[in-house]
Amino acid sequence: MQSALLPTLLLPTLAAPFVYLICKRSSKVAALVIVLTCAADIALLSTTAPYILNGASHRYVESYSWIPVLHSSFMLFVDGISFSMATITLVLISTAALFSINYMQERKGLAEYYTLLTLLSVGLVGVFITSNLMLFYFCWELMLVPSYFIIGGWGYKEPYRAAFKFFIFTHAGAVFVLLGIGAIFMVTGDLDIFQARAALMTANPEIVKWILLSLTAGFAVKMAAVPVHMWLPDAHSEAPAPMSALLSGVIISAGAYAILRVSLGTVFPAVMSTSFGGQFLHGLAVLGIVSAFFGSLIALVEPDIKRIIAYSSIAHMGYVLFGLSLFPFQEATTGTVLHLINHAVSKGLLFLSAGAVMRQLEIRDVREMGGLAGQMPTTATTSTIAALSIAGIPPFACFISEFLIFVGAFQTIGNDGFYLIPTALMLIAAVLSLAYALRFVGQVFLGPAKHEKVSDVPPFMRLAMVVLAALVVVLGIWPTFFIQLIMSASSFLAV
Amino acid sequence: MAVGLVATVLAASMVTDVYFASNTSNSSLPWIPSLGVNAGVLVDPLSALFASLVAFFSLVVMIYSIDYMADQENLTRYYFFMLLFMSSMIGLVMSDNFLQMFIFWEMVGLCSYSLISFWYRRAESARAGVKVFLMTRVGDVFLLAAIALLYANLGSFSFSYITAHVENVPLPTLTAVAFLMLGGAVAKSAQLPFHAWLYAAMEAPTSVSALLHSATMVKAGVYLIARLILLFGPLTASVPMWSSSVLWIGAITTFVGATSALSTPDIKGVAAYSTVSQIGFMFTALGTAHSASSPGWFAGLLHLVSHALFQGLDFLLIGGIIHATKTRDMRLMGGLRKAMPITFGLGIVVMLARVGMPPFISFFSKEMIFQSVLSSGNLHAALLLYVSTAITFAYTLRATVLVYVREKSDYLEQVHPHEAPRMMLFSAGVLAVLCTVASLFGEPVSQLMRADVEIGLNEVLSPSTLIFLFTVFVGGSTYLVCCRKTSLAERLGQAPRYLNRILENGYFFDAFYEKVVARCILSISSGLKWVEMTVFGPMPHIFVGRIVSLSNVVNERVEKSLLSRLPYLLASCIVRLSNAIHENLEKSFLDRLPYLVANGVTILAHSTRYYLDVSADGLLYMITNKTLASASEIQKMRSGSIARYISAALIGLLIILVLTALTMLR
Repeated sequence: MQSALLPTLLLPTLAAPFVYLICKRSSKVAALVIVLTCAADIALLSTTAPYILNGASHRYVESYSWIPVLHSSFMLFVDGISFSMATITLVLISTAALFSINYMQERKGLAEYYTLLTLLSVGLVGVFITSNLMLFYFCWELMLVPSYFIIGGWGYKEPYRAAFKFFIFTHAGAVFVLLGIGAIFMVTGDLDIFQARAALMTANPEIVKWILLSLTAGFAVKMAAVPVHMWLPDAHSEAPAPMSALLSGVIISAGAYAILRVSLGTVFPAVMSTSFGGQFLHGLAVLGIVSAFFGSLIALVEPDIKRIIAYSSIAHMGYVLFGLSLFPFQEATTGTVLHLINHAVSKGLLFLSAGAVMRQLEIRDVREMGGLAGQMPTTATTSTIAALSIAGIPPFACFISEFLIFVGAFQTIGNDGFYLIPTALMLIAAVLSLAYALRFVGQVFLGPAKHEKVSDVPPFMRLAMVVLAALVVVLGIWPTFFIQLIMSASSFLAV
Repeated sequence: MAVGLVATVLAASMVTDVYFASNTSNSSLPWIPSLGVNAGVLVDPLSALFASLVAFFSLVVMIYSIDYMADQENLTRYYFFMLLFMSSMIGLVMSDNFLQMFIFWEMVGLCSYSLISFWYRRAESARAGVKVFLMTRVGDVFLLAAIALLYANLGSFSFSYITAHVENVPLPTLTAVAFLMLGGAVAKSAQLPFHAWLYAAMEAPTSVSALLHSATMVKAGVYLIARLILLFGPLTASVPMWSSSVLWIGAITTFVGATSALSTPDIKGVAAYSTVSQIGFMFTALGTAHSASSPGWFAGLLHLVSHALFQGLDFLLIGGIIHATKTRDMRLMGGLRKAMPITFGLGIVVMLARVGMPPFISFFSKEMIFQSVLSSGNLHAALLLYVSTAITFAYTLRATVLVYVREKSDYLEQVHPHEAPRMMLFSAGVLAVLCTVASLFGEPVSQLMRADVEIGLNEVLSPSTLIFLFTVFVGGSTYLVCCRKTSLAERLGQAPRYLNRILENGYFFDAFYEKVVARCILSISSGLKWVEMTVFGPMPHIFVGRIVSLSNVVNERVEKSLLSRLPYLLASCIVRLSNAIHENLEKSFLDRLPYLVANGVTILAHSTRYYLDVSADGLLYMITNKTLASASEIQKMRSGSIARYISAALIGLLIILVLTALTMLR
């Protein structure tokens, strides 16, 4: 067994002080160092790809001894799902860093900013590649703290208010997660998700039920499912654009990933055959529909450019919840994970583009914008690509994943008639998503020009946006690689 | 311009490519192997017909655009999307599986959106694009659901697999699939109740409209229905109500489209509603077909070709007219036959072809549609079609009169219209010639389509033909006789005013979508936004605020009033205690203690001295007395004994000495 995963975590950790020091001299170089770190991380990760695609278990595992008392070894692993999520996270962080070179140019305290960004990548990647729940929780919180400081420190108008809201909400969620993890340890005496899963099968279903609910509630806060979504519009719109891209792209996706991996993957099989299992999935579906409609409808009338996108994120997490509720079906789960990836790229791009518009115009209200397509052609193109992808229009990325979710939904209808109405409603939501996407594009970029002398964005911002836009198109036309990877993780998903 | 040439070459090569396709062939590459999806090309008569049609019309429209778009900006974008439009449509018809077809299907919608909004600075164009895209998207979602449902049951998107295994699908599912697909086709082909978008699409540059109406976009729905009939084959008959739904949707749309065309003042509106109506004919024909060998199937597709020819021609002419007059309002036009004689001549061709006069190819196609509908026994539908045909002549005549024939309007005196540029006339001429002579090529077309149909002028004299021609004549003459005024309402007088309003508003479909549906959704959204802003948004703050105020209360009541003063209280208690101690104990007692002690000692000393003196004196006297008494006793008792006397004296002396010493010491 070679060791590729520990360096994946160590590299950005060790890079953080260097980034800080370098940034004191030149922030541009520091950002490029982050990009390089991420690239090196991706390279390290991709050495595991053969193990995942061709190995017998479709999984690559590393184990180090850690806290012997808790029977917890420092377990790192990647399978198709983790690999895809971690890779896309690193891509998004590096483009965010690139984008920041120009976007954050005039801001103060850039050394701290870039260092926090580097630390954030440790937490985010860590969440995706560990199978030890203790370590998972550790990374889960490590993801929260730098984001809090970035939102608060470099935010827009009332940043600390938004950051506080974000912190309080997600931390309250984290408490539920910790409760669930503690309960798993109590019941099974094990913190490794794969072993805990086997051990939970023999546990008392009543307890497992509460563990499942507690964990899912905690993760749902991170995902911003509707009753607990209040932190998201504020945090997303107050944060600086690169951070919004990360928040919307990967941090809320981490919540969805955690539901899939921990709630559904580890705990759910124990209660799957009981009537509660069905009810739980139905509950997820309902939550998904409510989120999808709520987000889409508000995005239709919201005037603030970044809040439109933020509500669209809520709507898309609705799709993901709906996809998760179809759990055991392979097409649906593949589609859901693929949607996390596609949504991350598209939404990241959309936030970067919105940031570009805000930076060039210095306003946020879309009603005051218009006709920018002529003045900011690159931004207009990337935004349109992103918005149409978000609306699920081929040949852009999100189409294929949404389509797979719907295929899974129709498969599920065959087994469970309950899903007929939810599926129909989700189809309506798909139309609504096009409506707000077109409204966004129309109000910002089309129509009579309302601003004179607006120029397009500086080169690094443009580069970041073009890279992501290319990725959106490529993922839309050739999703094969990720679909293969994700489907290879089906041994984990098979129940 | 260069891009236009590239397009020309591309399109031309497509045409020749497609001519080789006389057999069904299918080649594919693996695309998403884990889902069993391949990217493939299917060449069969249906796709060959469509692909050649699309390629040919794209070529014509590209040539036309060279002049028509010459003075426009952003031509790169224009040609990019025109090419993408064309290739998406070709991709759509040549896909060999539903997933790929759907992707191209959506891309067609995407291209139409960007082309309709081509003049993006104009608010109407931007809005029209949104409307078109959204309305067709509703249909796309139906189609998506149908494809997903089919995949869920069969596990494949491939056409050939579906044809082979479609019997295994349970009938309810098949019914759902068929109707959902019908929904998709209806929205894409602008049939009732989704026909409203086609008029909005008129905001596009006219060359785009020409392509959109002749070969791409609206024809996709017809393709889908035709393809579905091929795929499901005889099963279409077993799906309840499906064929008759197709037929009736087509028939009613035909009527609605024709009547709407009768009242619109917009020259492009006439063309748009005419397309709606003509595609209704195609749907009606397809509704009678249950397999590729049914006459209805071929009739529908033949009419598609003929409609493409005359409608494409119509739009090319309209483009020239708008170019020359700078307006779309027919009420401002008139007398263009003198200013634009070639256009007028071609316009007559359009008029006759649209109505379906022999020898234009549309005569044969319409004729076959009537035959197939009559032979399927749908007399009511046939009747509706006859009425629509009559109205078709009426609205065509009206448009011709308004634009070309009547007196020149005041407006045109100022504009000075001129004949269209050469490239535009050339491409229009090509279509006009084809329109006229295409019927000669009926034989190869029917062979290509494997249809057993004869097309020849000898059919002109059949009874149904006579009925058809009679209807047309009635329609035209009624219109001419009634009057040649601008609006139907004037013709009908004041009586049915509501009819006029209905027609002028396009049966209120537009109003329904914009005022009711869109407004409902927006008001729900605003409501939710309000909820979000007043309930959800501040909720955490209210919650936190509550906690903070609770903390404040605790702070005020407990902390400030009690806890924070507790140390002081304690301290002051201690201080008071100390004071009390100080006052009571220290000052009153302890301070004076030394004095008291000293006093006591002094008193003690005095009293001691007193008592000691007195008692010591007494003791001395007593002792002396006792000693003397005892000495005399001893003297008395032992007289004469000097020794005893001396010793007694000595003892006495000693005692005296002691006593003296005691006294002296004092």
